[in-house]
Amino acid sequence: MTNAVLEAIRSRRMVRALTDAAVDRAQLEAVLEAARWAPNAGNRRIHRFVVVENPIAIRLLRMMAPGMFQRPTAVIAICVDFGRAAAFGMSPDNRGPYVDVGTAAQTMLLAAHSLGLGAGVVTSFSRAGAKEILNLPDGWSAELLVCLGHPAAAQPPGMRSAGPRVTWQSLTTWERFPPRSA
Amino acid sequence: MGATLVLTEEEALEVLAFLVSAARTQLTEAAEYAPLRMLTAAGRLAELMGPRASAETRAFLAGPLRAMPDAALRSANPAAYADQLDRVCAALARHLVTHFGLDRGAP
Repeated sequence: MTNAVLEAIRSRRMVRALTDAAVDRAQLEAVLEAARWAPNAGNRRIHRFVVVENPIAIRLLRMMAPGMFQRPTAVIAICVDFGRAAAFGMSPDNRGPYVDVGTAAQTMLLAAHSLGLGAGVVTSFSRAGAKEILNLPDGWSAELLVCLGHPAAAQPPGMRSAGPRVTWQSLTTWERFPPRSA
Repeated sequence: MGATLVLTEEEALEVLAFLVSAARTQLTEAAEYAPLRMLTAAGRLAELMGPRASAETRAFLAGPLRAMPDAALRSANPAAYADQLDRVCAALARHLVTHFGLDRGAP
């Protein structure tokens, strides 16, 4: 079974080699518009996006992001407004905000892929450092960086998973687990 | 062996920032990322120092060290990962022996 959406999901990859070419403003706005439609718990909208195109700011973010292999020409920081979350009565250890970071990120990745952009996410970075570099308001925390650019012709090998090839079947259990043997 | 400076202040700050940030991120991320982060730091340092380094050092940087894939993880093949790191360490040691002149003079 296939269609355009399924094909986009299957063909998307983390793109770690990017050219120096800037991302068009219209493309960035299309990615952001897509993320606005991402599933969001309770429609509470506690997430905010900070777009960074300034090369110096991107360089500083990269310095403090051990997981940023690529050299993006644009970065979207997906931030959580924890003050807003608290106003809804969400406790600090509520995992919901992080799930919504993921839905926004995946939506951005697919949107970027559909536009021919190269994209990849970075979770390994100093939150405290990013907060200073981006001058985030109190209560905000950057939780994920979406790196964007134009894919280079040659891409480095990706991370290989350990063990046998993953399939949807290997990830899935239908209904309840069988009773444990004594 | 000379006292050639191979980093500007900005470049040194870049490596320093990476190392400090990696120390923080390593507190919560997968333990197998530790060698990956160290190698990424080495790769960034190599990239920055390469243009001003000696031809011999440049050759090392562009050779065995660069041959380590950026995103290689130990779990994909622990034995091969260790072997490849050993080869990089051995090549580095050979370069150090030559660069510091250990093979030229009496002890």
